[in-house]
Amino acid sequence: MNSMDTANTAIAPPVPVAGKDAEPHGKLAEKVLVRNLDFYYGDHRALKTVNVPLYDRKVTAFIGPSGCGKSTLLRILNRIYDLYPNQRAEGEVLLDGHNIIEPGQDLNLLRARIGMVFQKPTPFPMSIYENIAFGIRLYEKLPRAELDQRVESALRRAAIWDEAKDKLQANGLSLSGGQQQRLCIARTVAIKPEVILLDEPCSALDPISTAKIEELIDELKDDYTIAIVTHNMQQAARVSDYTAFMYLGELVEFDTTSKMFTTPTDRRTQDYITGRFG
Amino acid sequence: MLDLYARRRHRNTMVLVLSIGATVVGLGWLVMILGTLLYEGFSGLSLAVFTEMTPPPGAAGGLLNPIMGSLMITVIAVLIGTPIGILAGTYMAEYGKYAKLSMVVRFINDILLSAPSIVIGLFVYEIMVAPMGHFSGWAGAVALAIIVIPVVVRTTEDMLALVPKELREAATALGMPRAHVIGYVSYRAARAGMITGVLLAVARISGETAPLLFTALNNQFFSTDLNAPISSLPVVIFQFALSPYADWQKLAWIGALIITMAVLALSITARALAGSRKSS
Repeated sequence: MNSMDTANTAIAPPVPVAGKDAEPHGKLAEKVLVRNLDFYYGDHRALKTVNVPLYDRKVTAFIGPSGCGKSTLLRILNRIYDLYPNQRAEGEVLLDGHNIIEPGQDLNLLRARIGMVFQKPTPFPMSIYENIAFGIRLYEKLPRAELDQRVESALRRAAIWDEAKDKLQANGLSLSGGQQQRLCIARTVAIKPEVILLDEPCSALDPISTAKIEELIDELKDDYTIAIVTHNMQQAARVSDYTAFMYLGELVEFDTTSKMFTTPTDRRTQDYITGRFG
Repeated sequence: MLDLYARRRHRNTMVLVLSIGATVVGLGWLVMILGTLLYEGFSGLSLAVFTEMTPPPGAAGGLLNPIMGSLMITVIAVLIGTPIGILAGTYMAEYGKYAKLSMVVRFINDILLSAPSIVIGLFVYEIMVAPMGHFSGWAGAVALAIIVIPVVVRTTEDMLALVPKELREAATALGMPRAHVIGYVSYRAARAGMITGVLLAVARISGETAPLLFTALNNQFFSTDLNAPISSLPVVIFQFALSPYADWQKLAWIGALIITMAVLALSITARALAGSRKSS
């Protein structure tokens, strides 16, 4: 358990040590706080005592080699893993101080508060308009005009309005990959969640679409707490305020992005960031 | 080395010839069946076939009562069988994916899928015709519904299994309750395939004769009373084709042609739907 100890010391201070551009004023609020979290796929322990905060209205990037548990961690935060009976989590995930891992949660309401965008664009097999309106209608009964307004603002928010406004009735699947992904972001934003989880949202996209989505993340963080899993280290450096490095199911190090990418404390973080393994 | 290559090429040619030969033989029979059917049936096709009832031997007549009977029995069989099949398939693909019950149901369903239809006819005879004391259209429809169910269960499960799990996760991640995810996302994504399954089931039952002999029997008069014996195309074909009367035999050919064309139309529709699923 030697490696465990290093992992814990790396994140020992609850608020990260001030990097060069750490928040200069005010105390950071923890929108989500993961405490001593373990996760199992059947008998396989995929996460080992993970501790990490997601600060309110900040972007936190999760990096690490494939299979290190980044996506797994994200999938716990909105309990999407509940779809699969042999997966289980132990520990605490506090959303505004309330443990969402405990049984007896209303998972649908929880997921409405914590939105998620997946690696593969997943437009529903319905029109562009319906793709957005569908989620809104689940929780709100709006008059037509207001619904139209909400759909438009969601599409604008996700920077896809100009491309989609003339074909709102076209099938969502008729869009290009990058447009589909922005549609999925629009769909998530439309139901006004508090936290947005992005699981490698750009891995299937070309550089131009990627740039658009990165710009979008930058705008969204004014209103939302964002967690992004990415394999692209430049992307993590560009879009995030905080970075967490995970390795073999452990959270090795968590700090401000600038500190993580310049002077990481842990040897493994340094090796990964400089490309010596992974 | 060149020798080895030449031998391989030689073998390739042989396999190719054998494959083409098998295809020609296989398709040849189909073409001959369709050709005979068209030749024998088409010549007798007239408006009277659709407006007049089955005649006594030696008189002129049509196939109105068996066409009507077949339509009624088939529609009711599909109305009974489809909801059961879709719900069972939905359970297996969506709710009980990892449950033991699903495995048991899948196994039994596969047996039912290949069960001889005459066994199903006998079964329905035992549970409906015998207790009621008479043959009936209802019994025929139930027998055919039992044939529809496994086909629909199978295609529904298969088509829902093809819906990417990412789509389900994405819908769930929006806070959508399970029933919504299935009803509005999974079903929509699998719709074309599921409709194809129902159409294939219709094609399958429209030619079934054995189960109807034990259940709906036949009726030489026009009847829409499902509580009484009712006429159907396959049974009329069976009866008329075996008769010694030339005009009855002719009507049997016409009936066979009508069924074949109907099944062909359904298959083409099913194909078109399955094709549009991929391109959309």
